[in-house]
Amino acid sequence: MPTSPEPIPLLSATGLVKVFHAGGRAVRAVDGVDLSLAAGEVLGVVGESGSGKSTLARLVLRLTEPSAGRIAFDGRDITALDGEAMRRLRRDMQIVFQNPHSALNGRRTVGEAVAEPLRVQGVARGAALDARVDRLLDQVSLPRAFRHRYPHELSGGQKQRVCIARALALEPRFLVLDEPTSALDVSVQAQILDVLGELRRELSLTYLFISHNLAVVRYLCDRVMVMREGRVVEQGPVAALFAAPAEAYTRTLLDSVPRLPRP
Amino acid sequence: MSALLAIEDYHLAIPTFDGPARVLNGIDLALEEGETLGIVGESGCGKTVLARTILGIGPDRAERKQGRILFEGRDVADLSARDWRGIRGVKIAMIFQDPMTYLNPLFTIGRQLGDAIAAHARAEGQARPGRAARRVRAATLLDQVGLREPERVLDYYPHQLSGGMRQRVLIALALSGKPRLLIADEPTTALDVTVQAQVLRLLRDLVETLGLTVVMISHDVGAIAALTGRVAVMYAGNVVEEGPTARVLARPLHPYTQGLLAALPEIDGAIRRLSGVPGTIPSLIDPPPGCRFHPRCPRATALCAAERPAMRGADPAHRVACHHADLA
Ligand SMILES: Nc1ncnc2c1ncn2[C@@H]1O[C@H](COP(=O)(O)OP(=O)(O)OP(=O)(O)O)[C@@H](O)[C@H]1O
Ligand SMILES: Nc1ncnc2c1ncn2[C@@H]1O[C@H](COP(=O)(O)OP(=O)(O)OP(=O)(O)O)[C@@H](O)[C@H]1O
Ligand SMILES: [Mg+2]
Ligand SMILES: [Mg+2]
Repeated sequence: MPTSPEPIPLLSATGLVKVFHAGGRAVRAVDGVDLSLAAGEVLGVVGESGSGKSTLARLVLRLTEPSAGRIAFDGRDITALDGEAMRRLRRDMQIVFQNPHSALNGRRTVGEAVAEPLRVQGVARGAALDARVDRLLDQVSLPRAFRHRYPHELSGGQKQRVCIARALALEPRFLVLDEPTSALDVSVQAQILDVLGELRRELSLTYLFISHNLAVVRYLCDRVMVMREGRVVEQGPVAALFAAPAEAYTRTLLDSVPRLPRP
Repeated sequence: MSALLAIEDYHLAIPTFDGPARVLNGIDLALEEGETLGIVGESGCGKTVLARTILGIGPDRAERKQGRILFEGRDVADLSARDWRGIRGVKIAMIFQDPMTYLNPLFTIGRQLGDAIAAHARAEGQARPGRAARRVRAATLLDQVGLREPERVLDYYPHQLSGGMRQRVLIALALSGKPRLLIADEPTTALDVTVQAQVLRLLRDLVETLGLTVVMISHDVGAIAALTGRVAVMYAGNVVEEGPTARVLARPLHPYTQGLLAALPEIDGAIRRLSGVPGTIPSLIDPPPGCRFHPRCPRATALCAAERPAMRGADPAHRVACHHADLA
């Protein structure tokens, strides 16, 4: 990890471990991970299914309690933070979960779901709130009329976009995206990636970006971390790492990307 | 030869707060036994609704306006709940987009797979396999979909699995019987590329050895290219292009298909700004007249706003619904 005279990282974690008990055994889902993200940086996380990516995401946001390790946000140790202090911090740290289908409350309309964080944090009310919700729906390419819809009336990709709009609502400083574009077709995906890129340029937003789509990782991320069995097996600048992967596993991953017939 | 599945001029509307959404707008598709059809198209264009409608589990209150869907020559609208019991999950297996909805959170994976295996044995008039036999078969299925340590996964509850593990359990469930038709909605998108390749190989094997017929919906054009022989491109409730997969990808005729493929970020090649197709899909409640794509189309003319283009093609195997497609 670079511990240079660089500015303090926005988010850093050291020695993160998470042990689960399942099927009568202990699973070390995350097994000693260090990471550090500078403000405005996009760190990609790739790795095989079950390698601990989603668990890592939940750990750094304190949605899952670590078995060991420390997490710091903006120079402050948040490992033991609880209650009110953590709630205030939530405004700055948001997540788009891997499964949009269970992430939304089936009894709330799209409009209510997107407005909720703004209302709870007291950011906007009345007409200003409505205007903000409209803008968020525009950003994720959803028709404004969808504010009246319930989740079961949406397609998979539409639900995923509601989750993205909800996560962007408070203009957080740090956003974890767990497979955020997996349910999106390429053209909507391109629009969302553009929005994420813009927010990063304008607001210096910092992302932890988990994806199986290596082409998307290459497009959006500065650095990438390759995970396997709870550990980081390789990391580096995305272009360099994809051009010359040192680990056999990373090579297999890159070689398995299906190539398209091109004219 | 009669088709295993035939969808004929199918129109479907769903009532919403703002009025009826015309979600399927005259779909025509047919599949022979052993064929593999890919369906691609923008988020919200009707792929999942179509898949569920084929299985008789479309959205509540959805209304068929016109057309029919035939499976083994029978109109699915005429099937009773009893008929469906021998078809859904038996002759037609499905892999859904949202795995959690189809796994029971209270039972282990082993129990759920075991129950499915027993049900299939019953459907084929065989004796109920014993507990040990069910467990062995279940572990084999998990192994086939690339889950490591399948024995252990059998004792997991759904919430203890990662996203990709869950999706593979669903694939294993779908393949636990001997389906004639598999409808797979985004089966590989939550999987890393190595596992994805393995799952696609498994499906290809089943197509080749058992003559399994597959409809695969996916945003992942790479996966579509790897598995399917034919592809249908949907836009706002219509099929706008259909043809041999390799041909359509290499030489797309519809401006929408062309935009879709141009928006693909590539793993090698220069990093460029993703162009995409500008704009968003139209409202299905008040869709544009004529060609539903015309407001976003770089080639649109007055004709496009006035008249819905019919499917046509210089080659009957590769057809497109566009007034201005270059068919030469
Ligand atoms: N609540 C839990 N209880 C027990 N085990 C769990 C739990 N959550 C995750 N695990 C286990 O931890 C490991 C890592 O899971 P995780 O969801 O972090 O993987 P992932 O890298 O996100 O995979 P995917 O790409 O499939 O989403 C898996 O072996 C999983 O079975
Ligand atoms: N129950 C419902 N009530 C009203 N509208 C619905 C309902 N279900 C789906 N829709 C609408 O029908 C359209 C098609 O939905 P569908 O789920 O088939 O899309 P899709 O092509 O599968 O998209 P995705 O790729 O995002 O999964 C969408 O615009 C959606 O909002
Ligand atoms: Mg995950
Ligand atoms: Mg869908």
